[in-house]
Amino acid sequence: MKEKINEFLTRAKEELKNCNAIKSLNELKVKFLGKQGELTSFLRGMKDVPAEQKPEVGQLINHARQEVETAINDLQAKFEEQELEEKLNKEKIDITEPSKIVEKGEIHPLNKIFDKLIECCVEMGFDVVQGPEIEYDYFNFEALNVPKDHPARDMQDTFFLSDNILMRSQTSSVQARVMQTRKPPFKIVSPGRTYRADSDATHSPVFHQFEGLVIDENISMIDLKSMLTKLLSMLFGENTKIRFRPSYFPFTEPSVEVDATCPNCGGKGCNLCKGTGFMELLGAGMVNPKVLEINGIDSKKYTGFAFGPGVDRLAMVVNKIPDLRMMFENDTKFLEQLK
Amino acid sequence: MIVTLNWLKDFIDLDETPEKIAELLTNSGNEVEEIIYQDKYLKNVVVGKILKIEKHPNADKLVVCQVDIGDKVTQIVTAATNVREGHTVPVSLPGANLANGIHIENGKLRGVDSLGMFCSIEELGVTDYDGEANGIMILDDDLKAGTPIAKALMMDDVIFDINVTANRPDCMSVIGIARELSALTGKPIKKQDLSYKTNNEDINKYLAVEVQNKELCPRYMASVVKNIKIEKSPKWLRARLVSVGIKPINNIVDITNYVLMEYGQPMHAFDYDYIDGHKIIVRDGKTGEEIKVLNHNSYSVDERMLCVCDSNKPVVIAGIIGGLNSCVIDDTKTAVLEAASFNRASIRRTSRRIGVRTDSTARFEKGVDVQSPEIGMQRALNLISKLGAGEIVSGVIDSIDQKPTNKDMTFSISKIEKLLGIKVPNEKILSILNNLGIKSTIDGDTIYSNVPVYRGDIENNADIAEEIIRMYGYSVYDSIDQEPLANAKVTVGRYDPMLQTARKLKLQLCDYGYYETVNYSICSEDVKQKLLLKENTKLYNMIKIENPISEDLSCVRTTMANAMFTTIARNLSRKNQNFRLSEVGRVYFPKELPLKELPDEVNMLSFASVNKEDDFFTFKGMIENLLRDYDLDYKLEYSKLPFMHPGISADIIDTKTCEVVGSFGKVHPKVCKNFDMSEYTFYAELNLDIITSLKAKKHEVKMLSKFPAVDRDLAIVCDETVTVEQVLECVKKSCGKLYYSSKVFDIYRSEQLGENKKSIAFSFKLISYDKTLTDEEINQTVNKILKDLKYKLGAVLR
Repeated sequence: MKEKINEFLTRAKEELKNCNAIKSLNELKVKFLGKQGELTSFLRGMKDVPAEQKPEVGQLINHARQEVETAINDLQAKFEEQELEEKLNKEKIDITEPSKIVEKGEIHPLNKIFDKLIECCVEMGFDVVQGPEIEYDYFNFEALNVPKDHPARDMQDTFFLSDNILMRSQTSSVQARVMQTRKPPFKIVSPGRTYRADSDATHSPVFHQFEGLVIDENISMIDLKSMLTKLLSMLFGENTKIRFRPSYFPFTEPSVEVDATCPNCGGKGCNLCKGTGFMELLGAGMVNPKVLEINGIDSKKYTGFAFGPGVDRLAMVVNKIPDLRMMFENDTKFLEQLK
Repeated sequence: MIVTLNWLKDFIDLDETPEKIAELLTNSGNEVEEIIYQDKYLKNVVVGKILKIEKHPNADKLVVCQVDIGDKVTQIVTAATNVREGHTVPVSLPGANLANGIHIENGKLRGVDSLGMFCSIEELGVTDYDGEANGIMILDDDLKAGTPIAKALMMDDVIFDINVTANRPDCMSVIGIARELSALTGKPIKKQDLSYKTNNEDINKYLAVEVQNKELCPRYMASVVKNIKIEKSPKWLRARLVSVGIKPINNIVDITNYVLMEYGQPMHAFDYDYIDGHKIIVRDGKTGEEIKVLNHNSYSVDERMLCVCDSNKPVVIAGIIGGLNSCVIDDTKTAVLEAASFNRASIRRTSRRIGVRTDSTARFEKGVDVQSPEIGMQRALNLISKLGAGEIVSGVIDSIDQKPTNKDMTFSISKIEKLLGIKVPNEKILSILNNLGIKSTIDGDTIYSNVPVYRGDIENNADIAEEIIRMYGYSVYDSIDQEPLANAKVTVGRYDPMLQTARKLKLQLCDYGYYETVNYSICSEDVKQKLLLKENTKLYNMIKIENPISEDLSCVRTTMANAMFTTIARNLSRKNQNFRLSEVGRVYFPKELPLKELPDEVNMLSFASVNKEDDFFTFKGMIENLLRDYDLDYKLEYSKLPFMHPGISADIIDTKTCEVVGSFGKVHPKVCKNFDMSEYTFYAELNLDIITSLKAKKHEVKMLSKFPAVDRDLAIVCDETVTVEQVLECVKKSCGKLYYSSKVFDIYRSEQLGENKKSIAFSFKLISYDKTLTDEEINQTVNKILKDLKYKLGAVLR
């Protein structure tokens, strides 16, 4: 009996060693450990074993069962591992296939710039104010020191809807409205749409401005400069510098054109800035005391500044948009590029 | 404004380069847009004398010329037929780049060396030439061989094209720019000799002047010139006019134009013999009067139009254009010269109204000061005298009662510093102002200034601050850096609520694949037809632009739909497919037409989809998501918008206010056709102003039940007329207190179900807060639901 058991153990180990598939392992498991299996037959044979040998033989059988079981479990674990690995290998996908989620759209480049400008100005303490796009001549011109038939009206070809109502030609109209309704000090910006009877490759009859106005007791051109430097740095990057050139607007005095470091070349000079390293971006100036007085603000006590970039141009510069018209055609092939 | 370097040099000694001069002007406010070298196409072109002409050995139509070009004799082969031995001609030598684009190099013509080319006036870009101008240009014999052609033709000037700002009409002249350069360089303006000879007659015996409207004509000056000899102006004067782009006509007209350019004073010359009563009256026009003017048009005159008249009739539309019959012509014997100052607004108004704009108008509408006519007249008479164009009658008639004088003004240095934020040394302030011709002294904080008449733009501290800083140089700010708004009171910024709402909704749309667009808010009137708008409705009544630039942009929109559909159609025509677009913008509703007060401007959000994945119900879901956060109870009704499909669209109605918050659905097939859009187009619009005014939805969280929820599904068959809303409402009621939620998950139609029948499959969830539901309780509820559905809606279990 003992020899038989030992012989069984040696043989079982040998057979398991040669087993290389889960299927044959299951067969061996039945053959060795099953109800009709060899070990069970040893147990059945116990009744013929002399009583004094029974403990020893019993121990031997148990030992053999443990050894075979362990070997089978180890093999099973190994086979399962192998199987999983094979499965994982088979399941490998092409991760460059297209994604399945709804493709997101995008905010229009123009409004992205508006959003940035607004965010920066609110952070600096500006209120965002809206005004009507269809406006009285008075708020668009007269209250801004441009009386009827003033030569400065030639600077803006205006769409008229009646004798005294027009499509606002500048967001500056909001300046006058704010000055007449708020008590200084205040800081406001007014983003919005403007209209001029002008249409060519670089002018659209509908365009967009971002008006800013600060009125306080001690505002100087230095405040204007530092504020605009911050605003334009936010759009174009930390190292943006600005410079003033003299200009004329009826509602500011002194009036300046503001150039900023060319965002394309960083000031080194390129095609876009015609080699100057600077790009003309907006008009600005100190609020003309006459405008303060027209709108009921004491010009002896208060000074202020105003600025008004064309947002269409900023959007073009920031996104290197080659043609103004693309902004209003809304070709999805254009919009998709700005994601 | 165009001025030339040589002309400027008449007034100021300049040794700066043209580029430097341009930089100085630009940096002080008179932006030089272009520098044009008149000899740009004349380099390497010289005066040549043809010494000998011989036949070409190999060609019948060519000749070989020996030409003296000053330092040597060169050989030129030409096909020109108008050149003879002894002729003086322009010769372009190797290296020349001519006006017509020809580049000259040494060459051979049919085997014979040709070392240059004779030139025509076109090749040289010459516009005014009184010699032989057909074929090769034949020059004056007294020109020396080798002289650069630019010098020989007086085309060696440098032209500056300057953008003069609207506040500086005084800079619209050579003298004005010279004064700026004098201030910039510190070099003085040269004294001008404006003297002239007169006869001993008294002008008052010839002419009387009466100004009736002194407000619109603050000054009128006239002089009389007898024995006029109308002829060509001398070459130097013509060359000057040509250099600034004015065509020379005759000596009298040329003189008026010369004065206009040089001193900025528009002049007019009349034929004295055509002034009835020999009296000039400056007055408002009278209705019924008519005038035929130099452009050969006739204009009806009325009281809004200032006219220069004789004793019977208007002879000039003041400051704008002269009458045809009183103009100076070749046989004019006696001329009247006018130099006046007219009200700029009046000139501008009349010019716009009658649609006539001349060089005079351009100048007058910017403002001609009351001192200007005096200097202009002096210069004009000086030129007449110089040119010997006629005999000047003694005396100049002047309508002004009191001669204009410089204004004494005071300014505050501290106020100026407050504006500029920097301190400019007092000596610097004084030198800047004095160089500008504003004679000034400083005492303490006060600047005492004597401001010239031509600087009418200077009114207050801000104006003087600008004069100082533009001359001092804005570059002073380049190195100044400070915390933004350090001198302003600290304020808390606030966003605009409507813009915030718009942004929130737009971003939500982006998540669903919508690209935001920006469209024009002005449109064509035919939009009304294309969108099927009905007459006299709110959407139909669009405001019209009085002066549109085109029919396509002549109306102010009342709906977002047109722009969206146009954009969709454009994208489709460009083969873009499966896209979703949105727009935020305004629509404009007049309170009445014609417009008397400002219209209502309503902020709208529109979005549309041309995508097979979308239908009415994806749009409905989109709307539900967009409105989810707001405290808004709404119901849907079939949309009343004329451009929507009547059966597949809805208006969103606020149940409290009954206002239309928005609309969505399929676009009307006719409209799709009108816009060349796919019939499968869905569109939605939301009123952003209403949405912005809504409160945020409030949430109140209920305790969760400790007992398990029960889910059941049912499918019923009912008539098509039964709505999902009715079914779910019925289920809710039947469930009573146990109701937690319900949801339709399938709607199915088939032949087996029969015509006008549909099957609705729904699930519902039951929850009890105090016990675990038994099968019996659940079955009771299901039975009740089925019974109620059958009783109320005629629906049966499928």
